[in-house]
Amino acid sequence: MTVPRKNISLFLSILFSLFIGCKNNSTTSSSQVVIAIPSDVERINPLFSYSINEANINELLFLSLVKHTWNRQAGEVKTEPMFATSWEWNLDSSAIMLQLRDDVQWSDGVPLSINDVIFSFDVYSDPVVESYLYGSFKCFYTDKEEHIISSKTFEKLSETKLKINFKPGSTPTLFNLDFPIVPKHIFDKMPRTEIATAEESFAPVTSGPFNLEKWEKNQAVIIKENPTSFLHKDGNIKRIIFKVIPDYNARLAQLKNGEIDLAEYLKPEDVSQLKNSGSFVVTSLKGREYDYLGWNNLDPILYKKSGKIVPNKLFGSVKTRQALSMAINRNEVLSQYLRGYGAVANSPISPIFKNAVDDKLPPYSFDLAKARTLLEEEGWSDKDQNGILEKEGIEFKFTLTISSNNPRRIFAATVFKNNFRQLGIDMKIDQVELGMLIDRINNKSVDAWMASWIIPIPLDLKFSWYSNLITTPMNFPSYQNKELDALLDNLETKITGQQKNDSYKKVEAILYRDQPVTFLYWIDNVVAYNKKLKNIEVTPLGTVHHCWLWQ
Amino acid sequence: MLLASYLGLLFSDYRTALDQFSLNMADYFCSLFLIIAIPVFLYFKRKKLPTLKTFSFLHYSVTVIFYIFLFAPVITNDNFDFQKDISVTRLLPPFSSIHALHLKSDTKKPGRLNDFLSLKRNVVKNSFDDKIVFYDSLRQNKSNVVCFQNGLLISLPLSSIDLLNGKPKISMRHFVLGSDEFGRDIFNRIIYGTRISLLIGFCAVILSLIIGVVLGFLAGFSGGVTDVLLSRLTDLFLSFPIIFFIILILAFFGNSFISVIVVLGFSGWMSLFRIVKGEILSLKTKDYFITAQQLGLSGTKLLLREALPVIAVPVIVNTVFQFGNVVLSESALSFLGLGIGNDFPSWGAMINSGQEYLAQAWWMIFFPGFAIVLTLITVNDLGRKLAHQFNPRMHA
Amino acid sequence: MKRSLPILPLAKRITTSAFVLFLTVSFLFVLVRIAPGDPSQKFISPNLSPKLVEKVKTSFQLDKQIHVQYLSFVKNAATGNLGVSYAFHRPVVEVIFDVLPFTILFAVSAFALQLIAGLLLAVFAFHHNQKIWDKLLSRGSMFLYAVPSFVSGLLFIYVFSVQLKIFPSSGIKTVGTLESSFFLLLVDYTKHLFLPVLVLSLTGLPVYFKYFRENFEENQKKLFTLYLRANGVSERKILLSHLIPNSLNSIIAYAGVDLGILFSGALITEVIFSLPGMGRLTINAILGHDYPLIVGCTLTAGILIIFTSLLADLIRLNIDKRLIKGLLN
Repeated sequence: MTVPRKNISLFLSILFSLFIGCKNNSTTSSSQVVIAIPSDVERINPLFSYSINEANINELLFLSLVKHTWNRQAGEVKTEPMFATSWEWNLDSSAIMLQLRDDVQWSDGVPLSINDVIFSFDVYSDPVVESYLYGSFKCFYTDKEEHIISSKTFEKLSETKLKINFKPGSTPTLFNLDFPIVPKHIFDKMPRTEIATAEESFAPVTSGPFNLEKWEKNQAVIIKENPTSFLHKDGNIKRIIFKVIPDYNARLAQLKNGEIDLAEYLKPEDVSQLKNSGSFVVTSLKGREYDYLGWNNLDPILYKKSGKIVPNKLFGSVKTRQALSMAINRNEVLSQYLRGYGAVANSPISPIFKNAVDDKLPPYSFDLAKARTLLEEEGWSDKDQNGILEKEGIEFKFTLTISSNNPRRIFAATVFKNNFRQLGIDMKIDQVELGMLIDRINNKSVDAWMASWIIPIPLDLKFSWYSNLITTPMNFPSYQNKELDALLDNLETKITGQQKNDSYKKVEAILYRDQPVTFLYWIDNVVAYNKKLKNIEVTPLGTVHHCWLWQ
Repeated sequence: MLLASYLGLLFSDYRTALDQFSLNMADYFCSLFLIIAIPVFLYFKRKKLPTLKTFSFLHYSVTVIFYIFLFAPVITNDNFDFQKDISVTRLLPPFSSIHALHLKSDTKKPGRLNDFLSLKRNVVKNSFDDKIVFYDSLRQNKSNVVCFQNGLLISLPLSSIDLLNGKPKISMRHFVLGSDEFGRDIFNRIIYGTRISLLIGFCAVILSLIIGVVLGFLAGFSGGVTDVLLSRLTDLFLSFPIIFFIILILAFFGNSFISVIVVLGFSGWMSLFRIVKGEILSLKTKDYFITAQQLGLSGTKLLLREALPVIAVPVIVNTVFQFGNVVLSESALSFLGLGIGNDFPSWGAMINSGQEYLAQAWWMIFFPGFAIVLTLITVNDLGRKLAHQFNPRMHA
Repeated sequence: MKRSLPILPLAKRITTSAFVLFLTVSFLFVLVRIAPGDPSQKFISPNLSPKLVEKVKTSFQLDKQIHVQYLSFVKNAATGNLGVSYAFHRPVVEVIFDVLPFTILFAVSAFALQLIAGLLLAVFAFHHNQKIWDKLLSRGSMFLYAVPSFVSGLLFIYVFSVQLKIFPSSGIKTVGTLESSFFLLLVDYTKHLFLPVLVLSLTGLPVYFKYFRENFEENQKKLFTLYLRANGVSERKILLSHLIPNSLNSIIAYAGVDLGILFSGALITEVIFSLPGMGRLTINAILGHDYPLIVGCTLTAGILIIFTSLLADLIRLNIDKRLIKGLLN
């Protein structure tokens, strides 16, 4: 028996590669990108993009009517054409005329048409479907269940011209149109209740600049270029692999040895290593997320018992909250944990909104003496000299609840605990699992907690700061201020330009003064990617964004 | 000294004294008392003690661990949460030292209470100290002292600094086993971690003991339906990886010092139950027992009198092993972030936080890991020795 | 010798175990639902209306009474339908079958390693009876027994992955190697699984070593060994055909339970090396309040444990018929 020569050499070369370098066998090709994601996507169906990774992948697989980009100079979003090539508002902006493309096909060959667009609005707003956007179509004509009434809303002017009528009195924007279009011919075949578990959530029919190549459960989602797409350009990225790596250290190690090309949410302390190696671009996405210390402004026990709103014994007063904001050494966390990848936060209005933010507000600085004075004015003092402040027989003791899976907050809580101790405030830290924390915050049963907000773009404050606790369940600290309500109501009307920005500045001043929560810091999302990748723009809108432009 | 001052205060101003009382201080007093009392006790009982020659590794390690358990505050004389100037003190390798600059302390106010307070501050340490500044290097000019802290500059007026012969008073702080990401001393935390591990071990084992023995007696005494039910319950507990139940309970109902003890206590009674039940059943068939019963003696009383000494030996041995299991489980839970929370240092939690700094600070994992291994070896060894001593034929 | 299986006692055993399992699962089903916390919470975000949360709850059937939920669960479970996982939006059975092959591979390799290494070391120690090697090994096994897997695992990662960079620290394969040959894939898997398997088996190894070592010792004192030796049978033959089979007998019962527990997930090892096994699936289900998956994982674990201990009993039966009666208890 003879063995063909070729096979021997192949075998040898395999052996060779085995012992010399098993590091990366096929990821070196320059036309593909490997992006680390911490957990697998649950399904690839734009109707249910509950997680950011799903939304990112769906954006690449499915077209939307328009796309949004970030205008750095103005600190604003800009709308650009996608499936709609142009649009025109009518005079009172109660309707919009869209010109659609006619050259797009679904991955199964069926053309993407105006009917898919209308169907998408219908199915996203259908309560039976439970899409992630359900409830966010307030600008449209809807029935009682917030389901869009298609007959009133859409007018087909031609096969490529669509007119959308909005509810009178609402203030629609192009953001209301920016979501992935879903295939009518697929989802129309099945009952709406079954869309969530449909086979097509795992083998989707797509229309975007990329198609799904392969999805290895718990390992990777692999998408490849769609050469027929109008967004396709030769020389750009051909393949993107979203590799599931749950462990942070493993992500970092694989980034360093070239197994992955891009990773997000890196720890600031690892940045210098990456920078020194010279083969990475390290950048950061600023101003989308801030941490805060939440103070329950009302008494949790009385609220639970009778629904009565009584100021919290500890955190009900403005001066106390101001003192607490001065008692913590935010800069130590900023310099030691965030290592400069963050900035002190004054209010929920991010510095990325350059025109809306008041950049002259001085942050509350770490000043124990001043904090002590403020607390004394409120009646808190350590009369019995046991190291803990008291007032009317109550000692200043509370529990800070944080989620157990966030090292940054554990770090900050540990530092703040010591800061408070110095002032004579006894803070205990209770680490609970995230779901439980959210549960407790929702029930308003915690005194104090630390969490973060990811702020929406465009700016929206009403959902979390409006006084009505029933219609604003996200007002977790239960902060109530009539003056603020009036400003927020006013912001919802059709004011524009300078007027709007002035209103935002007033809102900021109030929140800054009253410190309903202690705004801690804006956290940068540190992103590092291999230098071979070109044309990546990291904006507040995201990193894994418009990847068809990457090279 | 502190004690004397405190007693003085107690007599002069009863109310304030009570307010001043804290657990830390009591802890300190107790440790101090024991550290004096034990040698005295040993001195009087010295004849009964084994001579040093019979001491083995086991004796030493048991002694050391107990010593640490009891005298933690005296050994470290520092707060386990102490942290200051993280930029300079974080992630220091073992055997490093850091310079500290002393600031002038506030002028003492006269009075018994204030004397006591300043004394107390010196003895029961706080987790903060605003009168010292750690630094990398120092520069002194006419009016200021400039400290460098890892790139940060701090300028302090000379008037605020504690001077010694015209020069700033400087001391060294040593981190024998290095420091963690907050600049906390790992040695201190391991010492206090001993207390947590052992305390949880004791409490949980006692709970298991009570449950196991009571249920075992119940099953052995009454037999019949109770026995079958309890035995099936034991099967139920034994047939599944109990760790998932523990995690489920802790994750759903919250984790704290008490809940960890309760959950670990409730998950470890099965082997004790079986031993107790088995012994009692075998006792019931013994001739002398049957005779005694026929003679009209109360069965229950007899069982208690006869059974207790018989079951004591296997129960004690099993308890020791169970103790080791609990210590291991507690550290595993803490490692998974479901331990007693971070108000107290725990070995498992220390390893968990060290996991993030694995590439930079091996000492954050190595030393707590060593402490766990040492404790487990000691406990297992102790169990084996006990089993051997009581019953050379029994296999542990 | 008649080779019929003792059907009746075995059947009885299976029924009892199944009943115990049923009770456990039912208990769990109720427990997770009365516990605080709410699976629909994870769907809350600024963009979502509170109405959606209600909708999600309805679709999870959490708005119904517990006994109604329980009855429909039992009905469905009887037909092999364990419901749909909240987190994966796929049938629980599918989710579990995704991780099961890996779990079994992982557990079996660690199990085999600890059993074989334990046996070989015990034979080695037995050869050097009471000499330095024997003592060293028994001391060493006592030490190893006291090292928790999260300590050994992290130290191995530090030494082999961080410092020496020989083995990868997580995952089961290098993604991106899509078109490589079977052989390369095998090597890749081996490299990824080497450390986890080692760590997992290190905790069990001392137990097996001790078991074997003590059994050899005991059997050696027994009459039949003395008899064989007196008849001039070689030491090697005594060991191979008498001591080892005799020792196996008592170990198999333990090994059955041990393997079952390994099947249900080597939690800590999976967490350290971020491996997609049953243990991590279960703990994620618990932390994510994914009720159907929690129940499904427990059920699977229970079935596997019953199965392996049954298997162990069957093997023992084939080795020693005398044990049939013992099984009845």
